[in-house]
Amino acid sequence: MASMATASTSLQARPRQMATAVRCFSQGSRNNLSFTLRQLPTRLSVSCAAKPETVDKVCEVVKKQLSLKAGDEVTAATKFAALGADSLDTVEIVMGLEEAFDIEMAEDKAQNIATVEEAAELIEEILKEKA
Amino acid sequence: MGATKLSGMQKQVLSLYRGFLRAARSKQTTEDRRRIETIVSTEFRKNSKEVDRKNFQYIEYLLRLGHKQLDQLKSPDMVSISSVKIN
Repeated sequence: MASMATASTSLQARPRQMATAVRCFSQGSRNNLSFTLRQLPTRLSVSCAAKPETVDKVCEVVKKQLSLKAGDEVTAATKFAALGADSLDTVEIVMGLEEAFDIEMAEDKAQNIATVEEAAELIEEILKEKA
Repeated sequence: MGATKLSGMQKQVLSLYRGFLRAARSKQTTEDRRRIETIVSTEFRKNSKEVDRKNFQYIEYLLRLGHKQLDQLKSPDMVSISSVKIN
């Protein structure tokens, strides 16, 4: 009797599993939405990253401040240290940027800047607050 | 260079350097400004090379000295600074 009882419950369980499986399938068509959802993070990161013109301006200031040659490549990912800048140079770069963009950078934030992109992002953040 | 690598003392020095450059910016003529910037920059760079990074007492003394000089430089009627080498 006991074995019969377990058999009947297992039979009852199976349709329930089927039901969930079907529900998954019905959501399967909606899974197409996840494609659009997946694009969102990239779009967000684009809007977070600095505008190209800001990055260009930062690159220019960095080049001027470190007196690099025109041919030297400075991109968004360039680290100041890779250009041969020490911490004193970084302070000078930050001061130059403050002047070029007519802003004031908080000291604790300015000390965390190590790349062109980080500088550009911080600048845009400040400009947004100012506006 | 990341912030994590900087010691408290290094931050103090950089902050002083910023202070000097700011003070230089407040000066009227660009000529004065450039002169101050050059002197300050050479002085900081010279000390960064010459002073032993473990010589905390001396660095602290230089920091105090620097702050005093900065306070003087900040006053509007102070136009420039000069460095004199005594052998």
